[in-house]
Amino acid sequence: MKPVEAEGLVRTFGDVTAVAGIDLQVDEGEIFGFLGPNGAGKSTTVRMLVTLLRPTAGNARVAGFDVVKDADSVRRLIGVALQDAAIDPLMTGNELLRLQAVLHGLGHRRAANRSAELLERVGLTGAANRRVGTYSGGMRRRLDLALALIHRPAVLFLDEPTTGLDPTSRVAVWEEVRALNDDGTTVFLTTQYLEEADELAGRIAIIDGGVIVREGDPTVLKGRVGDPTLRVEVADNATIELARRVLGAFGDERPARDGRVAIGLRGGAPRLTEVVRALDEQGVPVAHFELDSPSLDDVFADATGRRLEGAET
Amino acid sequence: MTAALDTERDRSRSRVSSLFPVVWMCHRNLTRFTRLPAILVPLIVMPVFFLVVFTSSFDGITRLDGYPTENLINWVVAFALLQGAMFSGVGTAGTVANDIENGFMDRLLVSPVRRGAIIVAPLTYTAIRALIPLTLVTVLAFAMNADVPGGILGIVLAYTGGIGGALVIGCFGLGVVLRTGDVRAMTIVQMTSFLVIFPSIGQVPIALLDGWMEQVARVNPATNLLRMTRQGYLGDVTWADTWPGLLVIACGIAVFGPWARAELIRRTR
Amino acid sequence: MTAVQSAQRAQSVSRNRPRLLVGLEQAWVLTVRSVFATVRKTDRWAPGLIFPLAMAAVYSSQFARTTGLPGFPEVDSFLQFILPATILQGIAFSASNAGTDMAADIETGFFDRLVVSPVARQSIFVGRVGGSAAAAGFQAGAHMAIFFLLGAPIESGPAGALALILISVVLSVGISGFGLAVALRTGSSEATQAMFPLFFMLVFVSSAFFPTELMKGWYQTAAENNPFSLVVNPTRQLVISGWSWGDLSAAVGYSLLIAVVSLGLAYGAYVQRLKRS
Repeated sequence: MKPVEAEGLVRTFGDVTAVAGIDLQVDEGEIFGFLGPNGAGKSTTVRMLVTLLRPTAGNARVAGFDVVKDADSVRRLIGVALQDAAIDPLMTGNELLRLQAVLHGLGHRRAANRSAELLERVGLTGAANRRVGTYSGGMRRRLDLALALIHRPAVLFLDEPTTGLDPTSRVAVWEEVRALNDDGTTVFLTTQYLEEADELAGRIAIIDGGVIVREGDPTVLKGRVGDPTLRVEVADNATIELARRVLGAFGDERPARDGRVAIGLRGGAPRLTEVVRALDEQGVPVAHFELDSPSLDDVFADATGRRLEGAET
Repeated sequence: MTAALDTERDRSRSRVSSLFPVVWMCHRNLTRFTRLPAILVPLIVMPVFFLVVFTSSFDGITRLDGYPTENLINWVVAFALLQGAMFSGVGTAGTVANDIENGFMDRLLVSPVRRGAIIVAPLTYTAIRALIPLTLVTVLAFAMNADVPGGILGIVLAYTGGIGGALVIGCFGLGVVLRTGDVRAMTIVQMTSFLVIFPSIGQVPIALLDGWMEQVARVNPATNLLRMTRQGYLGDVTWADTWPGLLVIACGIAVFGPWARAELIRRTR
Repeated sequence: MTAVQSAQRAQSVSRNRPRLLVGLEQAWVLTVRSVFATVRKTDRWAPGLIFPLAMAAVYSSQFARTTGLPGFPEVDSFLQFILPATILQGIAFSASNAGTDMAADIETGFFDRLVVSPVARQSIFVGRVGGSAAAAGFQAGAHMAIFFLLGAPIESGPAGALALILISVVLSVGISGFGLAVALRTGSSEATQAMFPLFFMLVFVSSAFFPTELMKGWYQTAAENNPFSLVVNPTRQLVISGWSWGDLSAAVGYSLLIAVVSLGLAYGAYVQRLKRS
């Protein structure tokens, strides 16, 4: 039995189908990255898995319990840090941890010890008695993480834990998630950042339009996309069609933003000189030229024909 | 099933008591109170305003033949008490609406705390919070020469009526905001409270009411609540004036409480 | 019409025309804008129309018998007595829109856009006040019609009804002025909204709901000298006694006085804000 299993999970809101039948399996002790653009169905899936929303069809088991029939048992065993850390700004970090401990049935002494331990762990001991309203975005996320851990959950759900954070705070949260995973916590992480999924997740699922379009080990998935992506930006937009024809001879076209042509370069880097020569011969003026090993964005593009929102192309 | 999950399975069966979560959730709201005293303003200003204005503006009505008291405050104090308590109930709805909007409610809902406790906590807070306007109005009424022939028991019943009224409005308000999930729904709660409490015997006894108002006041549950709350200020406490008020509170909580709980559960459907 | 279109229209009337005429036209365009803004949103006009009626329904039934008390003026019914209070409450509601709208204009930056446009600056001001004054006039008309149907006529007839509308318009300008003053000084719609309960309290501590003759002590003194009482008393005479130029001029005069004070404060705040912007 796996920490998270879902079969044919569907959720509709009126006429809108947010999640259209997904299957998921998360192994014990792994960081599972659930990647997709805004509105893809990530949060709806997480809300179903953490018992905040009932599936319209299908079923899911978390920590061995059915999320509908045994919701209470699921709640005892999971830790959840939802998007937009719901943290009362008028309370202090310490008070919120104590409240969270009580919500999970921890006794007075255990709650006190555990709060102190977690505050230390996320580096908030000094700010423990300050109102959360005075915390920075990064501090709030770290407190949110501590809150989710108060009862030593078997599975930790992190819904976009770094959205809106500056790069330094983001790295701090990543380190914390990695450390937690090293201690044996299974982490289910949703994110819209490719880099985050790449950094943290041992296995990922890419969701788009409510369905899972790719699933597996990121390295394997990237390998499957195959050839590296060659992006060519033309100096004169009028020549873009010509560039497309020339490049078409070297590999299949991939999605790219305006003014650029991208292909999966068959044969990889050794063929670059050939490409340059061909472009030059046909008189295509090149403004910019880059060759990338396949990224998760390529995996996403390969699966959906689009680039992930906000991703570099 | 792996060993780690097996041990978790045992943990999953442990019961989370409801008492401590309720106490702590209340504690949280009371803490907010001390840190954001602005929340107190409507609770203090409005009941005091109602007491002073209703007593002073309409002082002349005691000259009507058959008006039960010469000292208008003895009649109006119950009205002001219930208005104050009502603000407490409405305020609770606002607090919960805020919790829904900023996501704090989700935090409660993903915890293993019983759903009933999530409803009982804000109601407990309502009752405690209602003590502020109730005490303020009571003290001010004495300062304005109110009589209490019903003695301590009369005061106790006045508080009971106030707290009970606050709880009924609180349950109703919780139901409304849990259904809509919107702070703006508070206007509905507020307006409904006004609409219920005004066409009753807040300012004038039934015998002196005319037309539709008399008919409405007779069947308005607020009338029974006002009678119970008021009796100690007018004369001896009687069971006949008490039980209908208690019944209104019991029925109000029995109807709106489970409704609020059902709406809470519906939020996770 | 969108806010931007209104501003553009207000600007477009400004080419090669006498300044006063241009100013008046711009004020008109901006007034129409705020009237439309009010009409389109039910939550903007419904409370001011309905809540005072609900209060009147309750009070006219609760206090029906008090009209026979010694000291109570000669009236057909309590409903007739309470008509000015209903209109006054309605005005307090509609006038609150002027202040909160101005605050919203400041918060959204529309105010700055108007200020940097060639629109005569006074017309921005007049537009806001004009909008709520027009709304108050319509509302007063509606209230009078409903009261008439419920059997509470205006003894001074159609002329009296017109007089009441005039009084409502002027008084609305007066009350709006306070809202504008707060909005322009603070730039915050929250602060502007927060001051409106004060008006409701002031309406209660006046002769609007009950005759001051039946009050006692300090409260009676406060109610008798409440500026709202000074407007309500002659207005009520027009409703319950019949036509009197004296009553009309007293009601309009006191309303004007309130308007002069509040608009003075608002204009001061306005000039200060322009200096800052």
